[in-house]
Amino acid sequence: MAENEKEVRIARIIACFSPGSAGAPEAIARLAKEMQAELLGLFIEDVELLRFAGMPFAQEVGFPSASRRAMDVDALERQMRAQARALEVTLAAIMGPAPAGWSFRVERTTPASAVEAALAEGMAPALLIPPGANPRAERRVLRRPQISGESLRTLLRALRPVLILPE
Amino acid sequence: MIPPLTPDVLRRRCDPAQFAFATTTELEGLDAALGQSRAQGAIEFGVGMRREGYNLFAMGPEGIGRRTLVRRHLEAQAKSLPPPSDWCYVFNFKVPHKPRALRLPAGQANAFRARMERLVEDLRASIPAAFETDEYRNRRQQIESEFGERQEQVLGELGDRARAQGIALIRTPTGFGFGPMKGDTVMEPEEFRKLPEKEKARLEKLVSDLQEELARVLHDLPKWRRETMNKMRELNREVTRAAVNSTLEEEKAQHGALPAVQEYLGEVQEDILENAEAFRVSKESEPPTLFGVPMGRAEAPEATFRRYAVNVLIEHGDATGAPIVFEHNPSHDALVGRIEHLSQMGALVTDFTLIKAGALHRANGGYLVLDALKLLGQPFAWDALKRALRSREIRTQSLGQELSLISTVSLEPEPIPLEVKVVLVGQRILYYLLHAYDPEFAALFKVAVDFEEDMPRGPENDTAYARVVAALAKKEGLRPLERGAVARVIEQSSREAADAGKLAVSMQALGDLLREADYWAAHEKRTAIAGADVQRAVQAQEARLGRVRERVLESVLRGTQLVDTAGERVGQVNGLAVAQLGGFAFGMPQRITARVRLGSGGVLDIERESELGGPIHSKGVLILTGYLAGRYALGRPLSLSASLVFEQNYGGIEGDSASSAELYALLSALARAPVRQSLAVTGSVNQHGDVQAIGSVNEKIEGFFDLCNARGLAGGQGVLIPKANVQHLMLREDVVAAAAAGKFAVHAVDSVDEGIELLTGLPAAEVHARVEARLAEFAERARAFAAGAGAKPWQKTKKK
Repeated sequence: MAENEKEVRIARIIACFSPGSAGAPEAIARLAKEMQAELLGLFIEDVELLRFAGMPFAQEVGFPSASRRAMDVDALERQMRAQARALEVTLAAIMGPAPAGWSFRVERTTPASAVEAALAEGMAPALLIPPGANPRAERRVLRRPQISGESLRTLLRALRPVLILPE
Repeated sequence: MIPPLTPDVLRRRCDPAQFAFATTTELEGLDAALGQSRAQGAIEFGVGMRREGYNLFAMGPEGIGRRTLVRRHLEAQAKSLPPPSDWCYVFNFKVPHKPRALRLPAGQANAFRARMERLVEDLRASIPAAFETDEYRNRRQQIESEFGERQEQVLGELGDRARAQGIALIRTPTGFGFGPMKGDTVMEPEEFRKLPEKEKARLEKLVSDLQEELARVLHDLPKWRRETMNKMRELNREVTRAAVNSTLEEEKAQHGALPAVQEYLGEVQEDILENAEAFRVSKESEPPTLFGVPMGRAEAPEATFRRYAVNVLIEHGDATGAPIVFEHNPSHDALVGRIEHLSQMGALVTDFTLIKAGALHRANGGYLVLDALKLLGQPFAWDALKRALRSREIRTQSLGQELSLISTVSLEPEPIPLEVKVVLVGQRILYYLLHAYDPEFAALFKVAVDFEEDMPRGPENDTAYARVVAALAKKEGLRPLERGAVARVIEQSSREAADAGKLAVSMQALGDLLREADYWAAHEKRTAIAGADVQRAVQAQEARLGRVRERVLESVLRGTQLVDTAGERVGQVNGLAVAQLGGFAFGMPQRITARVRLGSGGVLDIERESELGGPIHSKGVLILTGYLAGRYALGRPLSLSASLVFEQNYGGIEGDSASSAELYALLSALARAPVRQSLAVTGSVNQHGDVQAIGSVNEKIEGFFDLCNARGLAGGQGVLIPKANVQHLMLREDVVAAAAAGKFAVHAVDSVDEGIELLTGLPAAEVHARVEARLAEFAERARAFAAGAGAKPWQKTKKK
């Protein structure tokens, strides 16, 4: 654990969820309650995934079944809506009327753009939990200026939470 | 003429003066079984004989002291033997439906159970603690991340290869897909459609190849997952082993000399390693997970821990010797134990902790005492006992299983080796019936313990009997007995034995008499029981049971039942019968009549013809024909038809004690010699005319005396009894007093000749001469009939 983390109270948790990585919403919500931090649930409808689904030959290879299935945009959108609803319900069940508050947003963009937008809202220091990451896994600690477009994409692919400290 | 018996012969008195004590408090009590030396010897032999099949059958009537004597000997022997082993049932990890029996040294089973309970509790704390260490967490994380990294690595490599060819690897909600790229992002579908057909075909081919490669990679994932899970299991096992070994090794060390327990604890150790997951969860916790995926539990943790329980079947912690078990309800299950069930969700379930011990388990290594009649009355209990004794092991099975009545899965507990000495207590008839009809009985119960019902009477035995009375009175908390009371008790004991030369040894009857005499002594406000109290107790007993006797007497006195006690009559004799009702016997006079006429030599027994006579009675009547033929009709055919009947007998008659009376009636009828009705007769007779002994002579005499007394004793009344029965006389005081006063007589006869003289007042020779003449007349007339008619009209024509 970084030395400076000990002195920082996390004010906000930005939890990213994607259609391909539902993650652990219950664990994230519990963590937020423990930390008495504001929770922002961010369900990102990845535009690249939607573009891919719109291809005439779009097929997915099931994980881990390895079976091939055709994809189409309508079905994907339905599935994403259902996932988003389920996530919101799960977070609401645990957070309830949390003193620090919580919110849930669905954004159709790239994960990096969605996070950039959320970080721009201020309220640092924040804990960023990438899609599918274990919220209690060892955290990386970065200062806000260290996070640019390419580095954010890398951070979002890794399965480790990131503590973002103010400048 | 035979003189009547003197009063001193009618009742053998016990002279109180022969005792040196005033009351029984001065006597040293004797807590011994009188007159049972044979039985004692048999018990000593049987109890001491530690060989197969030398079980005991203590036989004799109720109340004779069989159980007391058996208990006394068993207790003496059991003290010298070591307490037997304890037995437990434990889970069989190899064959779960066959619980394993464990033998432990006496007194150790409960401690073993407690230690096993504590061991499980300790492990429930120490195993989770072992999984909470940093060492475990880090190693687990390492294994998990190895898998994740391996997966990410192959997917990353594939993604990089794809990206190099302008194709993006995209994560979908349920898998992966490949899409053509434009720059750093996935191409728009519209742009793709606008591409030249050749380019579209190329890209589709590329995507298809990559999908195939991805499928190949994904095929390997389950294998990697299994490998990871195995590594995780091995890690868990290693951590559990460290926690388990120290605890179990300590327990094993305590049972170094018991290989079976060692082996069991080794199996426990292995099983805990296999089921460590159960120890890691508390009752309310969530199920264990792997990679965040909940793993199913085969069974609830509490059910898992139940298998490490120890069911103590039998423990001899406080025992100082071998056990002696008296099982008063020897049912099948009470003997071999039972397997109980619990109701769970409407189904009956069981396990080894629900096996319960039976009497054989409790008595194993010692002695088991059973009531033979109760045992035989319980379905399949006798078979179960024999099977256990034969196989020398206790197999606990429900009757349903044993008889194949139920086919549900149940338990088959491992049989427990059996070493027990069984003592059956029962009536003699049961011993003889079992011996005759059960081929296994003789091999399994080789020691017959035959209890005497009486013992010889004499000064020495009288004194011993007095000491037993003293001990019993003290034990029961009764008043002491004056020596006169003891003498009266001894006389009553002789009466119970139906023999002036014997004493009954029934402790139950003696105890009853003493308790009742004590009651009457209290009633009279006496500090010691007097002879009068004993007498009153006897009379009160008779009075309580005497309703039927009084009704019979009343019917005779009122003339409903015809019995003369005065005058004379040809062919009519007073016989004496005995009725036995509810353990109370009383005599009652019965008129016997005979009629004779010319005939073919038969004596017709009307009782037999009407099916009211039993076989022994019929035998007695047939003997009469033999007597007549042998005595009177040596040179000519016996041309006689006679009929004999017990008048007003509607309830059946058995025994031959009236055969002499029947013969007297027959001789009287033939000789036309009137018989004195003031006399009654009892005794059986043989073909030579000898009068033979009969049973219940006292009750018979008293029955006729009561009738005569009720009508008024005139002086000539009395009873003829066989001389062989004089030794059995223990008549009531009032009968003896009447005899002493010359108002009632008891004549002991040896032969028919003596009897007929008393009954008819004629010399026997004259009676015989008259009979001879009458029979000769019948024979002559028969010959005349035969010569005149060439036929025998008196003979019945047999129908074809």
